[in-house]
Amino acid sequence: MKAKKSPAERPSRSMLFVPGSNAAWLSTVQVYGADYVMFDLEDSVSVREKDTARLLVHEALKSPVWAGVPVVVRVNAINTPFFRDDLEAVVSAGVAIVRLPMVTDAQMIRHLDAELGVLEGKYGSVPGTTRILAAVESASGVVNAVAIATASPRMMGIALAAYDYAMDMHTTHDAAADESQLFFARCAILHAARVAKIHCYDVIYADVNDTEGFLREVAVIKKLGFDGKSLVNPRQIEPLHNAFAPTPEEVERAHRVVAAAVEAEKVGMGVVALDGKMIDAPIIAAAHRTIRLAQVSGVQVAGGVR
Amino acid sequence: MSGADGLETAVEDGCAIGLVDAARDARGLEQVRGLLKASGLGLDADVELFATARDASGRLLACLGLAGDVVKCAASAPEVRGEGVTARLMQRILDEASDRGRTHLFAFTRPGNRAILEGLGFHALAVTDDAVLLENTPFGLSSYVAGLARLRRPGRRIGGVVLNANPFTFGHRYLVERAASECDALHVFVVGEDASAFDAATRLRLVRDGIAGLDLGEQVVVHPGSRYIVSRATFPNYFLAREDARASAAAGLDLQLFRTAIAPALGITDRFVGTEPLSPVTAAYNAEMRWWLAEAPLDAPPIAVHEVARLEVDGEAVSASRVRQGLASGDLDAVARLVPGPTLAHLRSLVSPGHRR
Amino acid sequence: MRIEVDAVAGTLESSDALVRVSPAEELRIEVTSTVEAQFGAEIRRTVAEQLDRLGVTEGLISVQDKGALDFVIRARVQGAVLRGAQARPDWRKL
Repeated sequence: MKAKKSPAERPSRSMLFVPGSNAAWLSTVQVYGADYVMFDLEDSVSVREKDTARLLVHEALKSPVWAGVPVVVRVNAINTPFFRDDLEAVVSAGVAIVRLPMVTDAQMIRHLDAELGVLEGKYGSVPGTTRILAAVESASGVVNAVAIATASPRMMGIALAAYDYAMDMHTTHDAAADESQLFFARCAILHAARVAKIHCYDVIYADVNDTEGFLREVAVIKKLGFDGKSLVNPRQIEPLHNAFAPTPEEVERAHRVVAAAVEAEKVGMGVVALDGKMIDAPIIAAAHRTIRLAQVSGVQVAGGVR
Repeated sequence: MSGADGLETAVEDGCAIGLVDAARDARGLEQVRGLLKASGLGLDADVELFATARDASGRLLACLGLAGDVVKCAASAPEVRGEGVTARLMQRILDEASDRGRTHLFAFTRPGNRAILEGLGFHALAVTDDAVLLENTPFGLSSYVAGLARLRRPGRRIGGVVLNANPFTFGHRYLVERAASECDALHVFVVGEDASAFDAATRLRLVRDGIAGLDLGEQVVVHPGSRYIVSRATFPNYFLAREDARASAAAGLDLQLFRTAIAPALGITDRFVGTEPLSPVTAAYNAEMRWWLAEAPLDAPPIAVHEVARLEVDGEAVSASRVRQGLASGDLDAVARLVPGPTLAHLRSLVSPGHRR
Repeated sequence: MRIEVDAVAGTLESSDALVRVSPAEELRIEVTSTVEAQFGAEIRRTVAEQLDRLGVTEGLISVQDKGALDFVIRARVQGAVLRGAQARPDWRKL
């Protein structure tokens, strides 16, 4: 079984949703540079087109167009008649990550884990290599977030979906107006993600034309500690990546932290100090994250690594 | 990012696609009527639904109608440019038609729209100055014609007759008899639309049974109707009471198809038709027949047209409408003088079900 | 695989293809494309290969291509044929 990658290894700021029934998007959307692209078989595909969307997504996954791009596919929820067919269509095409919507408890993840194992065997994939991204969209999903996030070694991330969650909480979701109704859920899945050492994705921002509101929400979730956000339009990628890019000052300081740590290790010192202050392991890990983020964001620092 | 905008445009292009159900949405239908009128078009009574494009304020920008398996009544506001909106309207119509089990569609429109429809997968069948008829498959007409060709009969003079036979009368039988006497073989087509008092299967059966009595054997072939001959697609005016009576626009398409596709498949050289004293649409059809079949410069041999005077009984021309009148007034004795045995037996079974043989 | 009923898959949108199948006793394939000049032959080859894989030997197949990539054409042919044959996909063979 492949070793589990730590979340910091690749940037995961943006996860762009693409309707699985839309041939034009499936053919072109890789050029916009989203960290992850998610082909959707669920809400954006009408019931009448579930069969053809499955075929289109299956062929897209096998196509050279998507070679080397880590694609996520959102299948229909476990309790729908589409789930098993969706899963078979994408595992047989070697999908990297399956996003399961409407996850309410760890049992669902274990069920998906087992199904994936069977299908990996059937289609000759290396067992255990198909990863899982769980989307929680209900009160029970949020409350069970830690159990969900730690339910399988396949887990690569957890995501919040606001629309159904807000309804379950007897409220509504209107991002532009107020974020307070999502505060608990955001904190809950973030804690779960950090306990499980997996990615954590925030909700979509549906109003594509409201860049100001989008950036306001991005600032909130970045500050909370999210790895990234689900997106509904390629136009949202660039502003999101810019907002997540570290400042030159942050990058410069990160380089100095890393340099000090390297130096300390070279001379065999157990304690790392910078500007007279002690630096511990979490600070060094954060510095590495900042540098990697700077690299993928294209932030230049004088004397630093590009 | 202009590229991203382009992507979005391909999917959204600024207007919303919706539906107007002609039977339920009176307000929507009035808006559609207005848009069609502004484009110099009428609203055909047989259109069941319209796909519509509206701007953000809800104003109707474009429409496309579906009547059975015929796409028609296309119109758009002057500011709508390009074929993007038409493509989305057509996609919606294809979806709606497919939900109703109709995948083989025709389009009836102005010749100016031909290129756009060809870009949307339609293939032109016939074109006049006023109208073009297309179908959404490259195999429709060619498959039909290939099937017809298997029923070719040997001979030098091959006749053709098209009957609605609603129901089959001595008048129809007389026309068939006269035509057959002048030809080596005769092909009789019975209109296939279920738009008449008698359904298509019954009309076809009564024609076959009624002609059998003439004992012409293999010389006469009776064909069930098709979408390509006097159908709602080829000749909508036959089935619609149009106020503007532009009968000519549609008869030309039907006659052109007969001359360029159907007649060559069967080797038809002569077409026979009864004189028409009663129905104005049929009269217009007959008048145009000579031009389209015998004279129009088309890429197919001309066909001689023969008008056969109506058979008279009791000093009056025999017609299907006279039979239906007799039936309506319960005068079966009068009807009996107008129709052959099989038709009479069927009519009797309608009047008193117990009498059925 | 045998085409039993008329069926359609795909759309007329740009970068997509609309594939229509009908039952018949012979195999006939018609392709029209907005990129006929550059890619016509390639599209025909893709369609023929896909039909071969699906074991379709009879039927009328019409493909209206709006500049679709190879994988889209394959998926649309599969979609129309499977619907026309009223069959489920064999994911190993596609």
